[in-house]
Amino acid sequence: MNSAPTIRTQGLTRRFGELLAVDGVNLQVAPGQFFGFLGPNGAGKSTTIKMLTGLLAPSSGQIEILGLDLNTDPVNVKRQIGVVPEGMALFGRLTGSEFLNFAGRMYGLDRTTAAQRAAELLDFMQLADQPKKLVTDYSHGMQKKLAMAAAVIHGPKVLFLDEPFEGVDAIAAGTLKSMLQGMIARGATIFLTSHVLEIVERLCSHVAIIHQGRLVAQGSLEELRAGVEAQALAAGAGPSGDRASRDVASAEKLTLEEIFLRIVGGTRQEQELSWLG
Amino acid sequence: MTTTPTLRPRAQLAAIAWLRWRMFANSLRTTRGKAEVISRVLMTVFFTVAGFGGSFGSAVGTWYFVSHGKPEMLAVVFWAVFLFWQLFPIMSTAFTNNPDSGDLLRFPLGYRAYFLIRLAYGSLDPAAALGCMWLSGMLLGIAAADPLLVVWALPVVLLFAAFNLLFLQMVFAWLERWLAQRRTREIMGVLFILVMLSIQLIGPALQHFERQPATRKTLDLVVSVQAFLPPGLAADAIAQVSHGHFTIGASSFFFLGSIAALMGCLLHLRLRAQYRGENLNESAAAGVKREAHGLRLGWSLPGFSQVVAAVFEKEVRYLLRSGAMLLSLIVPLFMLVVFRLGPARSMWHTHFMRAPDVAFPAAAAYSLLALTNIVYNSFGGDAGGIQFFFASPAHFRQIVLAKNLMHAAIVLAHATLAWLLITLLYGRPALDVTVATLAGLLFAAPLNFTAGNLLSLYSPKRIDVSTIGRQRASQFTVLISLVVQLVIVAVGVAVFMLAHLYNNFWIATLLFVVLACLSLSVYSVVLKRADTIAIERREALVSELCRA
Repeated sequence: MNSAPTIRTQGLTRRFGELLAVDGVNLQVAPGQFFGFLGPNGAGKSTTIKMLTGLLAPSSGQIEILGLDLNTDPVNVKRQIGVVPEGMALFGRLTGSEFLNFAGRMYGLDRTTAAQRAAELLDFMQLADQPKKLVTDYSHGMQKKLAMAAAVIHGPKVLFLDEPFEGVDAIAAGTLKSMLQGMIARGATIFLTSHVLEIVERLCSHVAIIHQGRLVAQGSLEELRAGVEAQALAAGAGPSGDRASRDVASAEKLTLEEIFLRIVGGTRQEQELSWLG
Repeated sequence: MTTTPTLRPRAQLAAIAWLRWRMFANSLRTTRGKAEVISRVLMTVFFTVAGFGGSFGSAVGTWYFVSHGKPEMLAVVFWAVFLFWQLFPIMSTAFTNNPDSGDLLRFPLGYRAYFLIRLAYGSLDPAAALGCMWLSGMLLGIAAADPLLVVWALPVVLLFAAFNLLFLQMVFAWLERWLAQRRTREIMGVLFILVMLSIQLIGPALQHFERQPATRKTLDLVVSVQAFLPPGLAADAIAQVSHGHFTIGASSFFFLGSIAALMGCLLHLRLRAQYRGENLNESAAAGVKREAHGLRLGWSLPGFSQVVAAVFEKEVRYLLRSGAMLLSLIVPLFMLVVFRLGPARSMWHTHFMRAPDVAFPAAAAYSLLALTNIVYNSFGGDAGGIQFFFASPAHFRQIVLAKNLMHAAIVLAHATLAWLLITLLYGRPALDVTVATLAGLLFAAPLNFTAGNLLSLYSPKRIDVSTIGRQRASQFTVLISLVVQLVIVAVGVAVFMLAHLYNNFWIATLLFVVLACLSLSVYSVVLKRADTIAIERREALVSELCRA
């Protein structure tokens, strides 16, 4: 099995005027990994995923996808990846079937294959009920499913998903999850950002956390958990160790949310709003 | 347990006024916002001049009618104010965004406050301000002609102003109801353009009917009927009192008041439904219906790649689903009919050339002009879909080529239809002129597409292809496209003049073919650079077209 990383970035940086949105990110995602990319709001998740998919130029740094340089060989990279970007990238004045047909052909499928896969995907995503409905008239959840269908119609080796479960109901989320797990089982690599840490914890084998533009953690969930626990132990073992650290150290198994909060330094708001309720 | 604050409608109205002010002040932070303010200042100056000018005109007119014992003629002024007050906002709404008072419903706003806000938005409309200025002018004119009459005219004019305000808001509220759904919205859009176009036929129609004796009787009937409508009633209320017929004057006033109250009730019906949380969302209303469907293959375009065929199909589907865009393309053909029937028709016959020989090149040139918004902002309708283009492995030159193929298909369809229509209306254009015109298109279209492709990438503007008047490119694009098209038309006219001078239109064909070789070369060079330019302009394109 090829052990070269599917996604690799070196010193990936992006500036917007004075703002350093992404600061020297070095990422490595191995083939077949279900990779969760986490971070607080405004940390640089969407900017990173846009750069990884060719939607935004980096200010500096290098991106390699499947061993190909995105900057010098963008077409070959794009041919092998699927993307659901932040804005979903849909054409509102087409029907779902027309859009998937269009997407398939844009990714190089012949007319028959594109039409067959479009029909299959519409059925799978439970979007085949209203074939004449325009995408613009779809609900948000339906649009999300359609965007996902368009991203996979050509059978990509790597899938980039920006907040794929945002605004999607439990039934649709279940459909999407089973499709993604099926892709992983068949050897694809998935890179997703999400705010729903429970979903990431359940789906992803590996996680990276970005905070204020910098990559602050990267590894498998177990590695991250072990790292946080080791830090807590070190902090809580001495005579000056605080109680929270000792609690963490003594806890049975940290959840991803707890790991996330420990790493990005977030604390729960203790201040009370006395006039509430 | 905390206490619930008491609702104070006045404080809520003050908060909404502050909200509007902050929205305006915050909009100044962007360059586009500043440019908007400059254009608003210019418009305010224009409206102020128009307001004072109209006010002066209505004062003079009113003074003349009252002092010369013809107060019933005030109906003319009232009708003018009424038509402007009602029609101008409908036309301008098509070109601007209105604040959505429905957004305020999430707050604990009383129905009365909600009703008042809707009326307040209406009274801030430029048409309402101008209408009020013109009505004030009427009062000044009446005061100058008959000072005592102004005591009675004041409540009449105020009631007329209230009627206008309520009527317009009522129309808007019901229009909102219909425009909320795509299907009805597009039907309304089509109707709107048809009404606008049919106005151009009123002149020729009137000229036609003027010659018939029965028309005088019809016009007399129209004059009698208008007396029972609000402008006529307002005029009658003043005229009757001026003639000493107080009871009849009061009854007209009462009748006008009743109509204003009826408008208020109709407005109330709509606003009450909105206030109660009416949901006009199509997704919510549409039932789930399973329809059997077979495998639908995409289009194939012989000689072109899958990508080009796919984008071409998408472009055609977009065009066919945009009633507004489609109708804007019909205008040039419609104008041929107007020119044939309209007052300019005699010009065609006395011109130095045969009418069909002028009409065909002119129609072809106009067809290119009609394509401006589509060609010069070709990514505008794609909105968020531009991200798809960037994410896909397709080359931008293929995407641009597909779009241009659709534009070329429209030009060709236009030219064919124009030729047929001209043959029908004016007579068949000569063969040499027909060929020269087609050769002219072969020169003009690629040049136009080249400029259009560059501006589409360098100055994109998100447009709503489904809403009337929301297909306009940016002001910069409009300006540059105007210059380019003026140059193209000037070259075309020069070539035709030269051919006319030698009385041989095959010379024009020859010259156009040479020019077409040049313009096709320029087109080809720019098309090859489309990928590089698109990558350079990637961020600007995505941020402008994906803007919410």
